[in-house]
Amino acid sequence: MDNVSPIEKVLKLAALTLILIFFMFPIFWILLMSFQTNETILRIPPSIVFEPTLSNYEALIRGKLVSTAGTLDIAFMSNLLNSVILSTSSVILALLFGVPAAYAFARYKFKLGEFIAFTLLSFRFAPPLLVLLPLSLIFQKIGLADTYIGLVWVYQLIALPLILWIVRGYFEDISPDIEHAYRIAGHGWRKTFLKVAVPLAGPGIAAAGLLAFIFCWNNFVFALILASADKQPVTVGALAFVTASGIQYGQIAAAIVLSATPTLVIALYAQRYLVEGLSLGAVKG
Amino acid sequence: MSLSLRHISKSFGRATIFSDISLDVAEGETVVLFGPSGTGKTVLMRIIAGVEDADNGIIMIDNRDVTNSSPDNRGVGMAFQNFALFPHMSAYENVASALTAREGSATIIQERVNSIVKLLKIDHVMGHSPRELSNGQKQRTALARALVGAPRVLLLDDPLRNVDAKLRYEMRLELPNLLRRFGSAVLYVTQDYKEAMALGHRIAVLQGSRIIQAASPIDIYERPESLIVAKLFGDPTINVLPVMPRLHGDEVIIEIDGVSISIGQYYRDAVGIEASLALRPEHLVVCSTPGANSFPVEIVAETPLNEKTVLLTRTRSGTEVLVSMPAINEGTIPLGLGFVSFDPKSVLLFDRSTERRLRYFDR
Amino acid sequence: MNPSPSRPSAQRTKSTISIKRIMPYLLSLPALSICVGIIIPFFVAVWYSTLRYRMNLPAMWGFIWFDNYIQFLTDKAFWNTVWISLLYTVLTVGLELLLGLGIALLLRKRSTFNNAVSIVLLLPLMTAPALAALMWKLMTNPNFGILSYIVGLIGLTDFRWASDPKTALLTVVLVDIWVYTPFIMILLLAGLRSLPQQPFEAAALDGVPRSFVFFRITLPMLMPYIITASLFRLLDSIQQFDVVYAMTQGGPGDKLMVFQVQAYLEFFQYTNVGRSAALLMVLWLITNILSTIFIKNWLRLRERARGHA
Repeated sequence: MDNVSPIEKVLKLAALTLILIFFMFPIFWILLMSFQTNETILRIPPSIVFEPTLSNYEALIRGKLVSTAGTLDIAFMSNLLNSVILSTSSVILALLFGVPAAYAFARYKFKLGEFIAFTLLSFRFAPPLLVLLPLSLIFQKIGLADTYIGLVWVYQLIALPLILWIVRGYFEDISPDIEHAYRIAGHGWRKTFLKVAVPLAGPGIAAAGLLAFIFCWNNFVFALILASADKQPVTVGALAFVTASGIQYGQIAAAIVLSATPTLVIALYAQRYLVEGLSLGAVKG
Repeated sequence: MSLSLRHISKSFGRATIFSDISLDVAEGETVVLFGPSGTGKTVLMRIIAGVEDADNGIIMIDNRDVTNSSPDNRGVGMAFQNFALFPHMSAYENVASALTAREGSATIIQERVNSIVKLLKIDHVMGHSPRELSNGQKQRTALARALVGAPRVLLLDDPLRNVDAKLRYEMRLELPNLLRRFGSAVLYVTQDYKEAMALGHRIAVLQGSRIIQAASPIDIYERPESLIVAKLFGDPTINVLPVMPRLHGDEVIIEIDGVSISIGQYYRDAVGIEASLALRPEHLVVCSTPGANSFPVEIVAETPLNEKTVLLTRTRSGTEVLVSMPAINEGTIPLGLGFVSFDPKSVLLFDRSTERRLRYFDR
Repeated sequence: MNPSPSRPSAQRTKSTISIKRIMPYLLSLPALSICVGIIIPFFVAVWYSTLRYRMNLPAMWGFIWFDNYIQFLTDKAFWNTVWISLLYTVLTVGLELLLGLGIALLLRKRSTFNNAVSIVLLLPLMTAPALAALMWKLMTNPNFGILSYIVGLIGLTDFRWASDPKTALLTVVLVDIWVYTPFIMILLLAGLRSLPQQPFEAAALDGVPRSFVFFRITLPMLMPYIITASLFRLLDSIQQFDVVYAMTQGGPGDKLMVFQVQAYLEFFQYTNVGRSAALLMVLWLITNILSTIFIKNWLRLRERARGHA
């Protein structure tokens, strides 16, 4: 359709290359750093060719940090475990709560539904600290501070709106006649929901779940405020790691790599779902 | 009675879909629910199936009040206009779904599914997903799903509508045999009057939120209770001329364009009433000479249609009258002045204001 | 054999009707509990904002109505927060829009290459902003950071990036751009690809110059997507916490004291609950106004874009 001159093609390619470099370079470089010893890192000029080492990862996994100040016990692995526990539990809970609710919103028109949708939507744009700071005091009073249960429950504030938003659209796309046909064929409401509605909305549920997992995993401020050292996920843990003095930079890089890899892998694996979910969520509003 | 509807009414907001619908369908009987689109036929089907609630009224299936039962408890089978097959299941699983709810053994289910799909000639596509089926195959699968459970009441919502013309014609011939085999009470929705007349033991005409006539196809065609019914059945549409019958001695006389025509002893009650004279095109004959019961027209056009020829004529006062005759060679009847004659026995007279048919004589 | 006598009204059994009616409520009950969990702390925050309350002097708390807010008007720190937040927001959203639009235009045509590129470009968005900030912190480290080195090669030795009051804001804006531009790119790319082809074909046939096509056809039709993307980013940017906190915790000095970072420090460092809450209420007010304005405009622009198509 458009006649693109060869100069234009070259320029476009050059622009895309620069863009790719800009966006990919940090990930690439930190990955590189994670395989370097401190000496290699501190060498000037920075080296791309070097002898890679796994010592950084070893130290993290074993949980012992050898630094100039002596041997430190680093509980980074427990941070990783916390991230896994918190994100997985939150998403599972959000799906259990959110999928039936999304179905209710799609199939019925009722005031409570409008209210819930409105509240969750307005929270999406409200400053998280507005809720988190009072919550931290409330949690202390009711004993939920620094507990997995408290955190998973608060993480619902991230995951639920996402699930509701995305899955509702998918349920609305299913023709009601299909569900009617299954009921008339002799099946009760619950079986119809589980065997017809949910499978047909499957891609949407998967997209929402994956997206929710990523957002929960990447969350920083919720855990910062409501979790103490033993419950902190990797986002907070990595920061604590960095600010501790005398840390080996390679290990910091390795920690960042371990922290970021899960979500990046999910993103690559399920990118079509994610893009659909994101744009659906944003555009459908 | 397999199916009984009593005083069913339904409105959406301020729009009344229908009020006071009552209908009975006996075991083995096929009643066609006929009417133009938008008259709520599908809504009524949904109410009977239980996926929608009526505002008022009672639904009885096999003398059991099912008005408050959920759809899975009514013993109804339904085939939807847009098939409503489950996209994520195979055609086999779609049909079997009507049986799996009752937890029979897998072998029995398989037997019953196989026998019905063989009957419907879709046994070779059972492994496919609905996406891969043609419209005709989808429709038969939907039909199989509705029938396999041997329901007491079968609801068929315009199942042939989305099927191509040739297949529709074939199915129209096959369906009555199929339905007779199962002996369910069948309620069949269609907007095609020919389909209605071919398939129904009785036809219930739904118009203006009520059933205006429920009778056998012949009765509907030959003894329509209102002008609307007369117009809905018949192709070309029935001809209507305004007349004022009067009594001349023993006979009833009507006047068309100044020509007086006797219609004998029939429609005595119509004398002195402003009436509409309705003449079916196939009961009319065009000739070049006047006769006992004929009126002058100008023959305007001739349209050959396979087995018949339709002539467009115009009376002196400008009303168009269509005449349908068995196929003749083109040009046999010259255009221009002519006469249209009819048999007085075939005349239908309706009250012009109420549009109800006036009493004939002995019927 | 005979059905009920004439004119019975439907006898609705209690059980079937109530199950059907309360079904949606049952289904959404858990979701409702979450809503309650949001609303209660929210009102507590409103309450706090009207108090003089410091956690290290709990006994001295008192109800002071809107004094917290009034004090803001003459508080230099408050206006600094407002200024920095606005600057941050305008810079990030503006630059991200331009860059995101440019990338989307480059990737507009569907091809394996373009699809692969857009997938790869998704990755920064999927990185935790806090982790992204750490990545850039490492890269801008004056001792071994690759970026410090590169920048030194072109003569800017001793470039302190986030530690330098003059360049701190630009540094975090850069990190923000790195993380969030893909978001805009996704939305605008989806928008571009969904535009109807006819206007463009017609313009090509008529030999309309490309700049005209872009400004008078493409851009207006893309407006709903641009507005949506801007709205999301604006509201997120003005509340940015992760990137700034992970990078410098608000420093150097108060050069990066955006709203939520300031509120956080007020709460945990200065234990001034009242002030913290009041600051957040102001932020909430701003985001509310912004989202209302934008939602109104978004609906209007969507109708107009539909008219164009």
